[in-house]
Amino acid sequence: MGGGWWRRACHHGPVIPFLLAGLAVLLAWVAPGLMARRKAFRRAPRAALVAWQAVSVGGILAALAAGPAAIPLLLDGDAPTRHLRLVVPAVLVSAVVLGRLLHAGHHVGTRLRRVRADHRQLVDIVARHEERVRILQHPTPTAYCIPGRQSRVVLSQGVLDALPGEQLEAVIAHENAHLRGRHDLLLEFFAVVTQAVPAPLRSSEALDEVRLLVEALADRAAVRRTGEVATARALLTLAGSRAPDAALGVGATAPVRLRLLADGPPGPVLPLIAYSYAALAATLPLVLLGLAWA
Amino acid sequence: MPHSTSAPRLGDLERVVMEHLWDASGTGGDSFEGATVREVHERFDGEREIAYTTVMTVLDRLAKKDLVTRVRDGRAWRYFPADTREALTAQTMRRTLDDMDVADRRTALLHFLDGATTDELADLKDALAEIEARAEGEPATSGRRRTIRRR
Repeated sequence: MGGGWWRRACHHGPVIPFLLAGLAVLLAWVAPGLMARRKAFRRAPRAALVAWQAVSVGGILAALAAGPAAIPLLLDGDAPTRHLRLVVPAVLVSAVVLGRLLHAGHHVGTRLRRVRADHRQLVDIVARHEERVRILQHPTPTAYCIPGRQSRVVLSQGVLDALPGEQLEAVIAHENAHLRGRHDLLLEFFAVVTQAVPAPLRSSEALDEVRLLVEALADRAAVRRTGEVATARALLTLAGSRAPDAALGVGATAPVRLRLLADGPPGPVLPLIAYSYAALAATLPLVLLGLAWA
Repeated sequence: MPHSTSAPRLGDLERVVMEHLWDASGTGGDSFEGATVREVHERFDGEREIAYTTVMTVLDRLAKKDLVTRVRDGRAWRYFPADTREALTAQTMRRTLDDMDVADRRTALLHFLDGATTDELADLKDALAEIEARAEGEPATSGRRRTIRRR
């Protein structure tokens, strides 16, 4: 169908590198804002997380492919140097994006691993060791997990005192879902992508939404284990026992999560839309790159 | 890699050694003058087979982590817990809640909940009432209802 058109476009004008650059901007800056506003997708957290990852990966791929997609212009037999003014910036953009990602990945990765290892060692020394959990002898109710190769679920005595058995079971199921699903890797990926963007352009929309979505996903696991009522009661009890995180720009996740529990799981349409969108976002850059070399 | 096999064991020993030191300083009270490697080693008697040099290594690691302090006593070191167990527990709690950089903390550790304001609590209570009413309306059938609807 359009094969001839594409070939002509690639010969006469450097269309594809521009398309890829535009797609990168679209997926990295425009799409996250739009997606964060489509709150209905929170009811399908797993599909929504796939969509967020696909958009991020797609944006990165598009930026990384801009350079390679410009290379065929140099192989143009007639005038290889004619396109240098386009090829050089395109390759530079791809190289800079790759460099920033690698740097951010190293930086975030080492820092997270150090913080987790330090904290795990401290918990192992001061906490009481139980079969599945570590208990901190402290009256403030808190529950969290330390992800990683040697993961831990940590509860405070305050949480044991505040929650009856079934609600406690919900909290533990929630934390175990984080660990089993390796939600830490998702958060780390989005932390890296966020950090790789230069500070003035940086937005935490994606990371904030992914944080909420992994909580909603872990809540689903708690519901499967103990039911909606126990999970919702645990959320309410613990939300009331702790002051909000003042340092956080965004609101607390508890109201949204409880609302999601009240609304229940979505029909088949929302996940279907999210998965189709994800497939499109992740494959489009590769299709364009393929066309550039076709 | 020897590290991967010895690290968990040393971590476990660090806890036991700290417990010994906390015990000793607790029973000794203000007159506690620290424990030498030999004294800590003797506390393991009958509990488990631990080499003297292992106890030394563990105490050295704990000193590097600032969990114990030590003072010279002739040719030996006398070791003290840097903090009481309660103080160290409180410090661990504080770290998870306040101390770390907020972005680090929220990515490094996954908390069950991040707290809520008073206004939000009112919304929370409404949502809970809804969930409870739904569950009460169909006692023990909430699961069945969903399977019916899905069909």
